[in-house]
Amino acid sequence: MVRRMAFPQSTEAARMRGIVVALCLGIVPAAAQEAGMPAPSLECRVPGSQLYSVAGLAAAKAALEERHVLRILAIGGSSAPGASASYPVKLEAALEQAMPHVDVVIDHRGLPGEIASGAAERLRSLVADAEPDLVVWQVGTHDAIARVDPTAFAEALDESVAWLKSHGIDVVLVDPLYTASVATDTDYNRIVDGVRDVATREGVPLVRRFEALRYLAGRTEKGEGHILGRQFRLNDLGLRCMAEHVALTISASLARTPAPVPPKETPALTEPQRAPG
Amino acid sequence: MREPNAIDFWRGFALITIFINHIPGNTFERYTFSQYGISDAAELFVFLAGWSIGIATRTRDGTPEPRWRSVVRMLARTVEVYRAQITVMLLALAIIAGAALLLDNPLILEWHNAGNFFADPIQSVCGMALLTYQLGFFNILPLYVVLIGIAPIIVVIARVSRVLALGLSFALYLASLILDWNLPSWPGEGTWFFDPYCWQLLLTLGFVLQDWNRTSPAFGRWTRRLMPLGVVIVIVGITLSVLDIRPDPLTVPEPRLLFTFEKSYLTPARLVHFLGVLLAFSPLYALIAPRIGWIVGFLSGLGRNSLAVFSMGSLLSLIGQLIRFQTGGGLLVDMAVAGCGLVALGITAWFVEWRSRRAPKPRA
Repeated sequence: MVRRMAFPQSTEAARMRGIVVALCLGIVPAAAQEAGMPAPSLECRVPGSQLYSVAGLAAAKAALEERHVLRILAIGGSSAPGASASYPVKLEAALEQAMPHVDVVIDHRGLPGEIASGAAERLRSLVADAEPDLVVWQVGTHDAIARVDPTAFAEALDESVAWLKSHGIDVVLVDPLYTASVATDTDYNRIVDGVRDVATREGVPLVRRFEALRYLAGRTEKGEGHILGRQFRLNDLGLRCMAEHVALTISASLARTPAPVPPKETPALTEPQRAPG
Repeated sequence: MREPNAIDFWRGFALITIFINHIPGNTFERYTFSQYGISDAAELFVFLAGWSIGIATRTRDGTPEPRWRSVVRMLARTVEVYRAQITVMLLALAIIAGAALLLDNPLILEWHNAGNFFADPIQSVCGMALLTYQLGFFNILPLYVVLIGIAPIIVVIARVSRVLALGLSFALYLASLILDWNLPSWPGEGTWFFDPYCWQLLLTLGFVLQDWNRTSPAFGRWTRRLMPLGVVIVIVGITLSVLDIRPDPLTVPEPRLLFTFEKSYLTPARLVHFLGVLLAFSPLYALIAPRIGWIVGFLSGLGRNSLAVFSMGSLLSLIGQLIRFQTGGGLLVDMAVAGCGLVALGITAWFVEWRSRRAPKPRA
């Protein structure tokens, strides 16, 4: 179903495979709260408390258990840092390794424009097209860059998340990118806070990318530099780590979600079936 | 140089609206007519392009020029628009990259789908040449290239029968809505922001209506009679957008695109709303033109040079976005950005006409 060329798996993906498998084997519920959580690849390692907040993913869990297919619509961000290592490909590989009996199908769509003006509408039609179980939404960077009023942004985002939930579709939010020049930018931080508040209010998992990258930025860097300077190296790293961070958040959230109530015994076929209602 | 007229005036008006709407979040955005209806300036722009083709492919007394000449004229125009799109894309990417370097801020690279280009230039540059790689807000010109490219077919069929041209165009539109046809984006998944299969209907409508308007007295009579209907549609549009009422794409019946308000597919609601806007506002030019002085000349000047003004406008709106980001926005910044932008658009139009006066080119 995913209609992409096969690319050789990177060692990074292999490393991640082990971690996500471990997470899904049940280490997560305890580990999610602990600082001693098994880490992803060395360069992307961020303490869980700074990386994500988890919440139930009922629709995704039900899809896993009932159909063994998980349809994800990944919204936003670039899809092609070097084709083979692109974020949707890596995310799909990571989740499929973690859940060997599940076919993970990822549609990736860019969503240019601002949530507070127009893009929220486009999201709805993308969702209607893809009919996913789970939407992984990198949100807020465009609005922050366009200097959209943070209150209007949060309201529009809340409305969109509520709309997704009302249709039984799970959401994982990913907050905006971090870079040194926005670290103390009040409006930018208010957009980041807005995403966090909406995630809390609507009870959806959040990948705290801003915090995670700030953490990675503060770590002493060794090895690889970047010809354009430190900020660009951090940005590259952020894009590389996206799939790992999202996969960890989804796995941790799924582990936290109670299994769906098994359907009641179906009546014997010989008995007359009553029409519902 | 043409005298100011309604077509150029409304074209200029659409260009300014697009310029303002392409600086999202700015103060003046909420005062453009796009915020008060289901359709917006993009519809107006494409419709008027069709109308202009009708004018351009006939002599002043209304006799159609030879077919081959129309075909070559439109192919030449297609090349011109394609060249504009490639130039504008390259400059937009350079502005984005330059700003990221200058401000030491890699976030800017993620601007409206530009991230794909910088992450994967090998595929993206091919996509750029093929028009399948588009930046957000830079997606009208690719549509325009395709539409002007297929316009010769519309013109040639319409010479045989206008109803046939309109019928075929409408059939393609309807089929695309029902079967969800669109051109693909590449690299990256997805489809074109403006679906050419759907939007071609508006170009055809513009072309055919121009011809009817020219030849049939009954057409003018009916558009005047239907004006109240147009006003009702406009009022309904204002009400729906102010109250934020729109169909939910997950609850409408199939085929979904017949019922939603999607811009990408010029869905029927948008089309009907746009026709209502036409009916309601087409008599307006004659009423206001004598009363608004130099504005008529200014807007018509923009409209006469729409390709150059549009191209410059898209780059200026990108620069405007960057300035708003770096300064934090606010009313004063917005006024400066919009004011300088309008002046720059005016200078662009003036410059193009000055240059063509200085070096007269043989007409195609």
